[in-house]
Amino acid sequence: MIQRLLGKKTMAIAMAALMAAGTMTGCSAGGKGNTEAAETTKKETTEAVQATSVAKDGQAPTGEIKPCTIKFRYWADNTNYSQLMQDIIKKFNAENGKGITVVGEESPWDGGAYSENLFNAKMGGGDIDCATWKLTSTPLFVNNDLLADLTPFIYAWDKKTDIDENIYNIMTEAGDMERIYVMPWNIQVLYVYYRPSIFKQAGIEVPKTYEEFLGAIEKCTMDTNGDGKTDVYGFGMRGAKGGQEPWGSFVNGRGGSFKDLTTPEAEQGMQDFVDIYKKGYVPPTAISDGFSEIIANFQSGLTAMTIHHTGSSKDMEKVFGDDVSAFPFPTGKGQWTSMGDTETVIFNSCENKAAAFEWVSYLAAGEGQKMWCEGTGNVPVSKSIQASDFFQNNRFMKASIDGQGYAGIVPILDTTTEWISTLWPNTVSQALTGSITAKECMRILQDGLYQ
Amino acid sequence: MKNQIDIKKIVCVYLPLTVILIFILFPFYWTLITSVKPEDELYGMVVTYWPRSFTLESYRKLFTTTVNFLGAIKNSFVVATMTTLVSLTASTLAAYAFSRYQFAGRKILMCTFLCNNMFPTVLLLIPLYSIMRKMGLLYTPTSLVLSYTTFTIPFSVWLLLGFLNDLPMSLEEAALVDGCNRGVAFVRIILPILGPCLVATGVYIFMTSWNEYTFAVMFTNAETRTIPVALKSLIGQLGVQWDLLTAGGIITIIPVCIMFFFAQKRLVEGLTAGAVKG
Repeated sequence: MIQRLLGKKTMAIAMAALMAAGTMTGCSAGGKGNTEAAETTKKETTEAVQATSVAKDGQAPTGEIKPCTIKFRYWADNTNYSQLMQDIIKKFNAENGKGITVVGEESPWDGGAYSENLFNAKMGGGDIDCATWKLTSTPLFVNNDLLADLTPFIYAWDKKTDIDENIYNIMTEAGDMERIYVMPWNIQVLYVYYRPSIFKQAGIEVPKTYEEFLGAIEKCTMDTNGDGKTDVYGFGMRGAKGGQEPWGSFVNGRGGSFKDLTTPEAEQGMQDFVDIYKKGYVPPTAISDGFSEIIANFQSGLTAMTIHHTGSSKDMEKVFGDDVSAFPFPTGKGQWTSMGDTETVIFNSCENKAAAFEWVSYLAAGEGQKMWCEGTGNVPVSKSIQASDFFQNNRFMKASIDGQGYAGIVPILDTTTEWISTLWPNTVSQALTGSITAKECMRILQDGLYQ
Repeated sequence: MKNQIDIKKIVCVYLPLTVILIFILFPFYWTLITSVKPEDELYGMVVTYWPRSFTLESYRKLFTTTVNFLGAIKNSFVVATMTTLVSLTASTLAAYAFSRYQFAGRKILMCTFLCNNMFPTVLLLIPLYSIMRKMGLLYTPTSLVLSYTTFTIPFSVWLLLGFLNDLPMSLEEAALVDGCNRGVAFVRIILPILGPCLVATGVYIFMTSWNEYTFAVMFTNAETRTIPVALKSLIGQLGVQWDLLTAGGIITIIPVCIMFFFAQKRLVEGLTAGAVKG
């Protein structure tokens, strides 16, 4: 009996050890490859930059470029974007003149699991050279030494100044605060939608300052039929998940910032947020209003202003025609608006980084940037492309471009996802209903973000 | 009297049955009508339960745009069929050996088969990806067939084992007495009796492979992607292409429905076989 028990125990232990060994072997294979690749990369990057004394006009450093194939992983939000990306790749392959062949590999967005799949593939030693990107994934990949440092390439690139310095700063903050691992591609900058007809009715102009903006919210809240009830609310507040983006503009408008949410300025911004709710300048459902609700409320004429980006501008124009416009979030003691992002990265394991950079720089400031942003309606990062008539004649694009200089992101920390999805909506709803004060709310949010 | 019975039958049988049927079939109905609605009606503010006009545009797009749904169907079919053949062959032989032979390490091997299914798929993902890459199988249907067998074989072995253990040894012994060897007895006696159970196991393997996504998204590329990956690519960051997604869903369930139609009788027989000892 004892022997049988011992036998079973030995078997269980042996099997557990076998399983663990198998898993470790699989994981370590990718890790070793990555470390080796990382060392090679650092050497290659330095050499590439040193070899490139003068880059040709509008092109990335070409010193190390030999005919090669670059594997590019991307996601497309719909079949039109998918076709567009394939057209851009085809054009680049035909016109780059350096023998670079980009092979596009489409992968589903899968509710954000795109980044996890990419991570698994790279840890498994996958041969993807570069990919489209979300900033939030940067710490995971940087900590595992998977991303190539693009700083030397960008500094040697003659179109570096074509992209706003603020965007490079955001890319740096998302990495290790020293190097740029992420190449800007396109952005979505939040701005304020407003109804010119309601502004006219309220007798106000487009606000230029934060204080004027608060005043506009108050004045646009109107009882249009004289029944004693509010028919138009000044602002469509987003109190549910995702509301931290417009909320951040209020906090910064008073001079606060995400670095410390407990400063008197940040608390005052929160107090403004609470006040416009308590005074009835926003719909009473604001606490639970998410993206769909704020857009529906604005489109039904219930609200005079709301905050979103160019992703909804086509629908807005469809509903209102000329009776909808946009302005960048006005400046107060500070100024901030949220920036949605899509970038590209080059992996450490890429053997032809200079060629890969040629491709990602084509997407950032070349014909690829123009084709993609015109086709998708995203805001370009290239100033020269922003200056073209296509973008300047679009009032929503204009508002986005005007806001890019002070656009930012919520700090990317281990706590950010939980903070955005749970802590922020729960805490702010308590402040809006009066269960806690603005000061208490900011203390909870500060502790939750920087715990 | 007859009227009373009819009312009782309607209230007790037909009415609950209708409610349950509506509950079960409504999602299929909704998928179907969504796939034939024109875009402006589909994304309009007013919800329509019966389309104002019909269009097959989403089906056309599915086969003519970058989704390449025809290629995905072909790949899914190849992968599911191959997985079924490989898994069924391996698990039938393994189950027979476990059932009829007493050999050293038998229990350990059986436990190992069980333990394998206890691993979360995601844990196997990176090691398998690495193995497939090193073997040069990445982005081929073979990589999917091999990875699917890691979870279909263990389950199938246990499923078939239950049935085989209930088969009396005397059947084979009679065949052996009549001059058959083990192999011939297995092919001529055991396999025909095993038929319904093989169908049930085969359907399980086929459907699991047909619907699997996690491995498929990692081990395939544009040329070898399967239906679940193709359908997922229609769900973007900012929106869902409901028209294409529902059209794809309708097409995806057709082969499964046809299979069920033909295998239904044997499937039920196979699933219940071995459940009761006589």
